[in-house]
Amino acid sequence: MTDLAMAATALGKRFGRRRGWALRDCAFRLPAGRVCAVVGPNGAGKSTLLSLAAGLLAPTEGTITVLGTDPASARARVGYVAQDKPLHPQLTIAETLRMGAHLNPGRWEATAAERIVAAGELDPRRRIRALSGGQRTRVALALALAKRPELLLLDEPMADLDPLARHELMGALMSQAAQHGTTIVMSSHVVAELEDSCDHLLLVGRGRIRLAGEIDDLLAAHTRVSTTTQAAERAGAAEAVAELPDLRAHTVVESRVTGRQLTALIRPAGRLADDWRTSAPSLEELILAYLRNPEAASLTPAAPEEALA
Amino acid sequence: MTAVAHPRTGAPQSAAEALPSGASWGTVRTVLRLHRTALVFWTLAVACLSGCLVRLATVTADDERATLEACDRAGQDFCDTTVSDFASGMGLIGLFLVYSFLAVAAFAGGSLIGREMENGTAHLAWTQGISPVRWLTAKLAVPALVLTASTTALVLVYRWAWDGNRDLLSFEWVGEAFPSRGPAAVAYVLCALAVGALAGVLLRRPLPALGAATATTWALSFVLTLYRDHLWPTVTSTSPTSGDPYLPGTAWQVASGALVHGRPVPDLDYSRCEGGDAEIRRCLDDLGVTGYYATYHPESHYWPIQLVETGILLTVTALATAAVYWLVRRRTA
Repeated sequence: MTDLAMAATALGKRFGRRRGWALRDCAFRLPAGRVCAVVGPNGAGKSTLLSLAAGLLAPTEGTITVLGTDPASARARVGYVAQDKPLHPQLTIAETLRMGAHLNPGRWEATAAERIVAAGELDPRRRIRALSGGQRTRVALALALAKRPELLLLDEPMADLDPLARHELMGALMSQAAQHGTTIVMSSHVVAELEDSCDHLLLVGRGRIRLAGEIDDLLAAHTRVSTTTQAAERAGAAEAVAELPDLRAHTVVESRVTGRQLTALIRPAGRLADDWRTSAPSLEELILAYLRNPEAASLTPAAPEEALA
Repeated sequence: MTAVAHPRTGAPQSAAEALPSGASWGTVRTVLRLHRTALVFWTLAVACLSGCLVRLATVTADDERATLEACDRAGQDFCDTTVSDFASGMGLIGLFLVYSFLAVAAFAGGSLIGREMENGTAHLAWTQGISPVRWLTAKLAVPALVLTASTTALVLVYRWAWDGNRDLLSFEWVGEAFPSRGPAAVAYVLCALAVGALAGVLLRRPLPALGAATATTWALSFVLTLYRDHLWPTVTSTSPTSGDPYLPGTAWQVASGALVHGRPVPDLDYSRCEGGDAEIRRCLDDLGVTGYYATYHPESHYWPIQLVETGILLTVTALATAAVYWLVRRRTA
């Protein structure tokens, strides 16, 4: 299974007995070479998931596999940038990069790090404590990229970057992924930020994986349907929509009845009745539909009967 | 699509495996750089204390002896020998030496571990190819080596200053600065390092960890000082009612009192026996006093007590170290 960058089965993490589960029953498979978006609202468990993958936390239950082995053994081949971009404030940029070289013997590529720092017009002699948030992000990314990771885990990487720097650093990341086949996993609660650059999606909501798979496959597996027939009147309330004869065979993620109009986002399990109008949902619509409806069945490799064609 | 366009260098993994010593040295250098300020401060403090000791033991001690001799030659009735710069200097430096563990505990709990746990730089190290256990080892081993070497050196200089000038020292071999002339001083700083690291990993915030570490180690030293006389069996000497029990000149007297029918009673009130010799004799007979006793440590107990205290401290150090490793192992993958 070396072609998998990350895989989890029944993964769960609880911080203390009273605070409940941050993550539970997570199962997904991420093939190597993908650029994967980890999307979800604040507090959904995105950071916990990335910390587990980076070996910073031990799972409470289940297992997570990284680059074909456990996170501890994969440490040298995994790059990680935490949400708050921790760096030693008393060091200069040059000293920070030297620290990276010391801690990654044999893997460190100094020129890559220096190039990323230079692209931000940063003086290597400046101290970390004198840098702005965006500049710190740049140094943190340089540290993570210069160790030439096979898997790069980025927690909210672009949050405090200006649009120009965001574009440039995203370009650097994408070229890294293209050149070296690096798998990149980045989290965000802003979908638009990731839509253009990612080809794989992990949607996390309330500590569970709601959607996992290639974005194209996920979009293809869902359809927006609407009708104005008596079906809407018969349904009456949105709760009854799933019990409509026309829809019972399919998985209804979200439905809305407004007047004589009934619209629903479904996972079709076969042919649809002819009097339904269908359209392709956007990624944002798909994500919002799942997050608004926590009781809707998740679509992950954990549910094999839902396996994508 | 500008930056990073470099072919991957060949077999980076095998190169990393071939360079384990390079990795350790890099880690050591990183720890030294991160705590450079603390290292500079500590080195200055050690150098300053050593310098003061050397000056005390040579210039000050000789001056004081010369003054005493001049005073003796002049045959003056009154020579003020109560104020000795040398003795008070030695006492003060001894206290600095002993209680330096408080600074070590604060450093270990606060800056060494606690701050890194709070601001996430520990996580930064753990994702830079160094495992949490190896990070902890470097964080403990580098300061432990520096502290052991510097404190041992200070203790040796202190002993040299002490042994060469005992004639000028009136205070006892036991006192607040007791650990400063032996391995207990080194054990105190190592214990403070381990307890500080444990507090840092446990509390994950520098200020609470700093407070907890200093309070714990101070309490430990307080208890050890309080019960120091129990660390080794005492010697008891007795005397009949006609005399006083034998005590060597340098003895550390722990208890004394009367013997009632041969049994020591420390708080017997025989002060109410007053009057002439015969009256006192009769009064003591009525109380059943058969003699007096004194319990003490002779100066030869210095090393046994030092070593027992060192052993206790090193046991605490080992327990705290085991606990901090266990915690880090349990929390991380």
